[in-house]
Amino acid sequence: MITKNKLLIITLALTALSACDGMFDYSPYAIDFSEENMNVNEKNVSKLILKEPDDTLTIAFTGDTHRFYDQTEEFVEKVNQNPAVDFVIHVGDMADFGLPKQYTWGNSFLLKLTVPYFVVVGNHDLVGNGLTAYKEMFGALNFSFIYDNLKFIFMNTNGLEFKFNGEVPDVQWLDAQLSPNNDFSKAIVIFHIPPMDRDFDSSLEETFSKTLAHHNNVLFTVHGHLHGHEIYKPYEDSITYVNVYGVENMKFNLIKIANNQFDVETVAF
Amino acid sequence: MWKQWHFKIALIVLLVHLCNPVNTYGQYSQKTDSAKYVRFLPDYVKLQFAGGIGLLSIGVGYSFFKEKLEVSYFYGYVPKAVSIDDLHSVSLQVTAKFFRFKANKNIEIVPLNVGWFIHHTFGNEYWITLPSHYPAEYYWWSPGRNAGIFLGGEIKTKLLSNKTPASGTAFCARVGSRGLYLTSKFGNSAIPFRDIVEFGFGVALYR
Repeated sequence: MITKNKLLIITLALTALSACDGMFDYSPYAIDFSEENMNVNEKNVSKLILKEPDDTLTIAFTGDTHRFYDQTEEFVEKVNQNPAVDFVIHVGDMADFGLPKQYTWGNSFLLKLTVPYFVVVGNHDLVGNGLTAYKEMFGALNFSFIYDNLKFIFMNTNGLEFKFNGEVPDVQWLDAQLSPNNDFSKAIVIFHIPPMDRDFDSSLEETFSKTLAHHNNVLFTVHGHLHGHEIYKPYEDSITYVNVYGVENMKFNLIKIANNQFDVETVAF
Repeated sequence: MWKQWHFKIALIVLLVHLCNPVNTYGQYSQKTDSAKYVRFLPDYVKLQFAGGIGLLSIGVGYSFFKEKLEVSYFYGYVPKAVSIDDLHSVSLQVTAKFFRFKANKNIEIVPLNVGWFIHHTFGNEYWITLPSHYPAEYYWWSPGRNAGIFLGGEIKTKLLSNKTPASGTAFCARVGSRGLYLTSKFGNSAIPFRDIVEFGFGVALYR
């Protein structure tokens, strides 16, 4: 009798378990990403380098997507309609509370992009165990790749999240990355927090901006964090900083690069 | 540092309850002459699967107001098999049980329980108060402590009442969500409801 009851209970439990697969939550901080949510930046580099470059390189920028999931979805739809876009760069703050679940949500929309995409780390992405989640989903915090003779350098500039420890951003790494060689002519540097911001490690502001100018090969830099759009030259070195729209503005910036010249456009969606 | 204290206290409270010399279960405790102490024994111990508070969590519960209100305290664990880092947490839950009816003399159904919980994950990165290096009110939530709600149901049986000092065994199920998930879902039709739901199952042994 007891055996029968037990069997019934076990059967019921297993049925319920299989019916609700994926709806069991063990903790908001459990990181157990599926294959498509791992090593995303590197996978997209592999995808991009297979593509033959044309005269003009067109990059769509978004960022600060936080909890604006519906808008992120619309951004992806809009970009997919534009065949000129070569790839997409997200300038950080994809996970509002740094939750692994928010990483998965954010990436679920970006995965629908028909072109490669890259995500740099933002301060919101680092709350809780967000650092581990970012590394698992996207890879190294500082990374770079070369495409069409251009070097794209992605940097963690979220100094405040690292208690302004004097190591974020890693200026020495940046200098080594910018050190000229035959593989690239110009570099584009992408980061979340701009150097003049209060959340940037002020002890590194001068070194950072001087390092960017040091090899005289930075075409422009792109950042987010401020949600609005601005093209400006904050330092005497006359390097252009492009602050790109946060997704909630229902606008994004398109940067076109040809013959080491660049042009910034705004697209509404 | 105080977080380690908190953790130790949580474990001590649980161990005292679970390895109680007086025994957690009724028949034994009636033999002791410290009737006053018996009042402080939990009314049930429970083992739960999922529900957002651990792959497995174990806790003790107290009933009040003729079993209409319950307060329980759980320790939950997430092993490395299902997460990059293993996770330790505790949660405090308050459950209101408005309805109950007897299906037969051995089975009681307690449907539509409404619960609230607060969940604390241990670890430096799961802070409760904003660390001092941030400007005031830089982040409005705390990763270390967040609250949620759930709906639950329970089937109380006489299972194990013959062979053990327990009065019965209950099988519980719950479905809930937490503030951080609900906030994420708010205004986003693109996020499916199933993604913010925390399902859980449990077995409780009643005193």
